[in-house]
Amino acid sequence: MTARDRLVLAIVAALAVLGAFWVLLVSPERKTVNKLSAEVSTASAQLATVQGEASNALLAQQRYSAAYTSVVNLGKAVPPSEEVPSLIYQLAQASNEKNVEFSSITAGASGAAAASPSSPATPTAAPTGFTQMPFTFVFSGGFSDLYHLFLQLNKATVRTTSGGLRVSGRLLTLQGVKLEPITETTTTGASGAQKLTGTITATAYVLPASQGLTAGATPNSPTPSAAAASAASTPATTSASTPAPAATVEPLR
Amino acid sequence: MKAVNLIPSDERRRGGAVVGGGRSQGVAYVVLGALAGVAVLVLLYGVAHHHASSRRSQLATIAAETQRAQESVAALTPYTSFIALREARMKAVADVVDSRFDWAHAFHELGRVLPRDTSITSLDGTVGAAGSTSGSSSSSSTSSTAGSATPVGSVPTITLGGCASSQSEVALTLQRLRLIDGVGDVSLKSSGTSDGSGSSSSSAQQCAPKSPSFSVQITFDPLPAASEPASTTGTQLTASTGGGQ
Repeated sequence: MTARDRLVLAIVAALAVLGAFWVLLVSPERKTVNKLSAEVSTASAQLATVQGEASNALLAQQRYSAAYTSVVNLGKAVPPSEEVPSLIYQLAQASNEKNVEFSSITAGASGAAAASPSSPATPTAAPTGFTQMPFTFVFSGGFSDLYHLFLQLNKATVRTTSGGLRVSGRLLTLQGVKLEPITETTTTGASGAQKLTGTITATAYVLPASQGLTAGATPNSPTPSAAAASAASTPATTSASTPAPAATVEPLR
Repeated sequence: MKAVNLIPSDERRRGGAVVGGGRSQGVAYVVLGALAGVAVLVLLYGVAHHHASSRRSQLATIAAETQRAQESVAALTPYTSFIALREARMKAVADVVDSRFDWAHAFHELGRVLPRDTSITSLDGTVGAAGSTSGSSSSSSTSSTAGSATPVGSVPTITLGGCASSQSEVALTLQRLRLIDGVGDVSLKSSGTSDGSGSSSSSAQQCAPKSPSFSVQITFDPLPAASEPASTTGTQLTASTGGGQ
């Protein structure tokens, strides 16, 4: 074997050793590193998502008290039960304030001003949303007084400029209005305020039976419990059947 | 002359060794190079191993943090559910509020535009079904598919009966009624005097002799989408200003 042969052999042997080292040790380790890096990236993204959810959940916990108040206040507009006494009280109060005589109220949509084809005497559930409770009521008063009455009834639940809701009474939708002069006072060409009879077909709204006012939550905890359920329904009933100050329900921020 | 090698035979052997040593020096370089390569590879392996260990511990830390965060989320789920309930309920109420027709504003407008010599003997207003243009007071509306009793697209109509001092006053009334905010159409149903000139309605009997009684149907624009912002109660009407032609 010549010296050159030995040299070539040594080079080949050295390259073989280096190649084997690379293939058997270094390359697999580098692949492992790459794989782990990818896993870390995925896990980091997942962590960020979960941390976002946790942050939102913490925020929800901080907002719970305000949200509970909002839900109870919304219960004044749409109570969990029919709350007919509070509705009558609201109509009577509005008519007194506007110098309008509140003549009658009838459950269910009826009369010429009815806009609904069916005139159920009991609440009917809309396919989605709230249960509708149609009713007809009759007022008498001057045109201007009736105008103010409509304004007052609309104001029971209105939007605020900030996108929230201002709730001071039952949410009502007026579907039909019929005004006629009262026969006794009708005099053609009479000047001054003439009394009118207003027959109004309206709809009040009730929460679906499947939903409670607060879904069993209490002022301190959202977790439903038997005690909490009864406690939650009591203040809503009270607040809806008695005059309550206007409450503003603003979007949570 | 014969060439004679003057170098001693010992020196000649050593010199050969020197030559022989030069040849083995090449192999030595190869060995040294191989060792250097191995050293580099070991370094690379060490770095990779270190990174791998670091990533593993990082992964373990992230997994632990994720677990903690998930537990926290699970514990606070009732709160998030309640907030969602609150948002849904507020939206439902807001949708109903936004979909209402502002009767008060309509009456205010009616009082504003009606001519002085015209009086109203009857007023019958309804909010009809979406797409309906019928103004009949007994017109039926389909049951609401949304939460509101007056769903988006419902068409409010008012049928007015009244007395005017003359037929030209009736014409003026028609013109003025088109000035009402949000009115889409004003159409005359009838106009005549009670002395056999065409009108037999009860309102005609309430009018003075020779004074025509009229019946007019006012059709408003359909109620807008509930999602539109409503900063005031008169949004439905103010959205379509310029009804007068």
